[in-house]
Amino acid sequence: MTKYDVIIIGGGITGSAIARELSRYKIKTALLEKGLDIGLGATKGNGGVVHQGYDPVPGSVKAKINAQGAKQYPQLSKELGFEISNPGLFVLGFGEADLKVLEHKLDYGIRNGIKEIRIVDKDTVKDREPHINPNVTHALAVPSTTVVDPFEVALAFAENAVDNGVTVFLGQAVKKIEKQGQDFLVSTETKSYLTRYIVNAAGNHADDVAKLAGIEEYQMQPRHGDLLVFDREMDIKPQTVMFPCPGPDTKGIACIPTIHGNTIVGSTATMMDDKDDVANYKNGIDALIDGVHHILPELDDKKIIRSFAGLRPVVLDHDNDFYIEISKTDSHFIHAAGIQSPGVASAPAIAERVRDLLNDAGLDLPRNLNFNPFRPAPTIFNVLSELEKNMLIKNNQAYGHVVCRCETVTEGEILAAIKGKIPATTVDGVKRRTRAGMGRCQSGFCQYKVLSILAREQQVAIEEILLEDSGSQLIFGKVKG
Amino acid sequence: MMENFDVVIIGGGPAGMAAAVEAARKGVSVAIVERNDELGGILNQCIHSGFGLQYFKEELTGPEYAENFKNLVEQAAIKVFLKTMVTDISPDKKVTAVNEDGLVTLLAKAIVLAMGCRERTRGAIKIPGTRPAGVLTAGLAQRYVNMENLKPGNRVVILGSGDIGLIMARRLALEGMEVLGVYELMPYANGLFRNVKNCLDDFGIPLHLSTTVSRVIGYPRVEAVEVCQVDDKGCAIAGKEKIIPCDTLLLSVGLIPENELSLKLGLKLNGASNGPVVNQDLESSVKGVFACGNVLHVHDLVDKVTVEAIQAGKNAAEFALFNTVRRDEQSQFIKYSNNIAYTVPSIFNTSKDLLVKFRVRKPITGGQIKIFSGDQLISESRIRDFKPSSMEEISLKKDDLCDQAKGLSIILEEASA
Repeated sequence: MTKYDVIIIGGGITGSAIARELSRYKIKTALLEKGLDIGLGATKGNGGVVHQGYDPVPGSVKAKINAQGAKQYPQLSKELGFEISNPGLFVLGFGEADLKVLEHKLDYGIRNGIKEIRIVDKDTVKDREPHINPNVTHALAVPSTTVVDPFEVALAFAENAVDNGVTVFLGQAVKKIEKQGQDFLVSTETKSYLTRYIVNAAGNHADDVAKLAGIEEYQMQPRHGDLLVFDREMDIKPQTVMFPCPGPDTKGIACIPTIHGNTIVGSTATMMDDKDDVANYKNGIDALIDGVHHILPELDDKKIIRSFAGLRPVVLDHDNDFYIEISKTDSHFIHAAGIQSPGVASAPAIAERVRDLLNDAGLDLPRNLNFNPFRPAPTIFNVLSELEKNMLIKNNQAYGHVVCRCETVTEGEILAAIKGKIPATTVDGVKRRTRAGMGRCQSGFCQYKVLSILAREQQVAIEEILLEDSGSQLIFGKVKG
Repeated sequence: MMENFDVVIIGGGPAGMAAAVEAARKGVSVAIVERNDELGGILNQCIHSGFGLQYFKEELTGPEYAENFKNLVEQAAIKVFLKTMVTDISPDKKVTAVNEDGLVTLLAKAIVLAMGCRERTRGAIKIPGTRPAGVLTAGLAQRYVNMENLKPGNRVVILGSGDIGLIMARRLALEGMEVLGVYELMPYANGLFRNVKNCLDDFGIPLHLSTTVSRVIGYPRVEAVEVCQVDDKGCAIAGKEKIIPCDTLLLSVGLIPENELSLKLGLKLNGASNGPVVNQDLESSVKGVFACGNVLHVHDLVDKVTVEAIQAGKNAAEFALFNTVRRDEQSQFIKYSNNIAYTVPSIFNTSKDLLVKFRVRKPITGGQIKIFSGDQLISESRIRDFKPSSMEEISLKKDDLCDQAKGLSIILEEASA
């Protein structure tokens, strides 16, 4: 049996960032993900804002890690070939009481090291956002705020990690963790893995995974959030990430211009018991519509193309802070738990912290001299020039076959996703990588084509192709014969 | 590759084919650009009959109706680009497309937009609940069953009584799937009366009016839906929920003209019909760009699409031949009463006869259409019933349009309750 130095449990943005960070060193690392794709938990269920760090209490783990992580994004985007935009952010104040809160957040922001953070007046907001609620009086401006697609970032981390020697195992839900001398034997339903260290990045299930190793140091509960996606084509849409004045546990319902030109509105914040309930709730959807109208009263709520939900992993009785520690029970077990907002922004710095903790726990980290920080950006046909499109098709006819008409996604891009370092194996896996099916027809026209391509490439019957998780077959067999 | 054509038609469905054939008949060079690997559009998957009664005076299936026009296209020396996707159209009528050979550039003198429409989705109507496999639009189910021989489910609930939903209820029942019921938010069926009768009543499939699907249950596959009665504002009535176990939810909740290219071209859109603003020549806000069929407004019958497309094809050819100077600047918006959803065209002038098409917002018993030029009544219909499922047409002679400055109003008077 291969013996790993480190096994990371959980392939969200946190686990993937850790995998990539550890691939800088000459150690044997594997990542186990229970889903059939990476990034299926909180990673895909959030708005993608790279918060700069005005919210966390100065001095908290979160405050340091958030600011350090966020700063790395522009560079990471270049290295790893994921898209990033810089719309900036306003936290909107409605009157004098809110101004007090904003000033408080300004103080946090300055102490957490955010550059250019300041309070601006109504006119400054209105210049940038002409359709803003006229009752806005002030705003906290954080111009350095960026936006990413968190799945794309997680994929980029994971693929770059694979390129640098990390092994990623999908469909591997950990069922058992046993101690074998100094080592751990980690077992799933189908396989066992021997490792010296475990990094627990299991999101909402981090406490359950720890428990498998006999470690009970904290309890977790998910904070559920509904989110809405709006059409790219809207007369009135935000240019800036805009939050209302925050409440105690949540930053409130924001509108977020995505890197793809859509608008995301999210999210609600409800503590739940079920760690897997990512259903949408009617009261949540209604609250989101009210929430966005509080910011942009004239935004057309008929332009919704999709709703989704996510669960932020919250470590209970921990002041909403991250829980990134060496286990008190077993020093070879590292927690990267409770990564709620701003988990996206923090991921790169969480990875560095986990690396340091592993080192503190006795793991030698010799440099991997072959480490290649670069991952080529995937080809996006739609954004190429006419000349580039023509060249691409001349080299590979599959790029001349447009599969998704709403987002202009070609068969060439879908094939690249299916053959990627972390391959898309499901319809939603293809969608997340290529945007095929993400447009306003929501795959009504292209789902069959994507199914056919997946079946052809995997050499299986169409009936076996999944939407997402095991058991999510789209087709029940032939109509006749 | 670059080629010149007098008229380029975007879309090879029923609208595109009829427009192309008519344009070619006028003696101009015509190209059709179609993204699929065959002409015919959605007709190819509509294997039921009921097409052609008005235009061909015989009852045809969708593929038969399409076949008639495919033959005409073939005979007419029309250049057909298949598997070719238009990615951009510029206002100077350069059409950019891609296919397996690379980039295709077509320079046109006139363009006809005939891209059709798309179905509204689950997202658009915000059904809460889980997001499992087994929720799909009726049109996608139609494609799976009729063209690909694939079964998208076993026990099916249908939300929405649009025509595709009704047709699919019958189709799935005929193919041995269990259709548990059709649920409709409104207090009336949205599809044609004949489809309610032939597709539901004759197959014993219940239609539940004023009822909607309020939640999707189950993951990774649909396990049930929650349905709920709604009040006269369409809001769910607490306590009137019911769980229906099923594995599939089919949506037939409306069609929307496909606007990507219209938007890229910078066309003015009509917020009520969701299609481009056109005048009575079916010409959009960009000169020489015409629109017809479901990209302009959603039709009830393909026969009417054909008639409209013939007009668009003819006007496009004339534009290409004579570069006809239009009098748009003198055009006016057609006004209409609140119980009318939209009109096509949305603007008019008095230079020629005018055919106005419209749909009512809700069923009206004993209504009468009155047309005014200013205060002057110029035409009135007999008293009859109106349904949102039927597209209405009024034909007005140029001489009746009176003075353009006075405007034109279409008023649907309802019998006083």
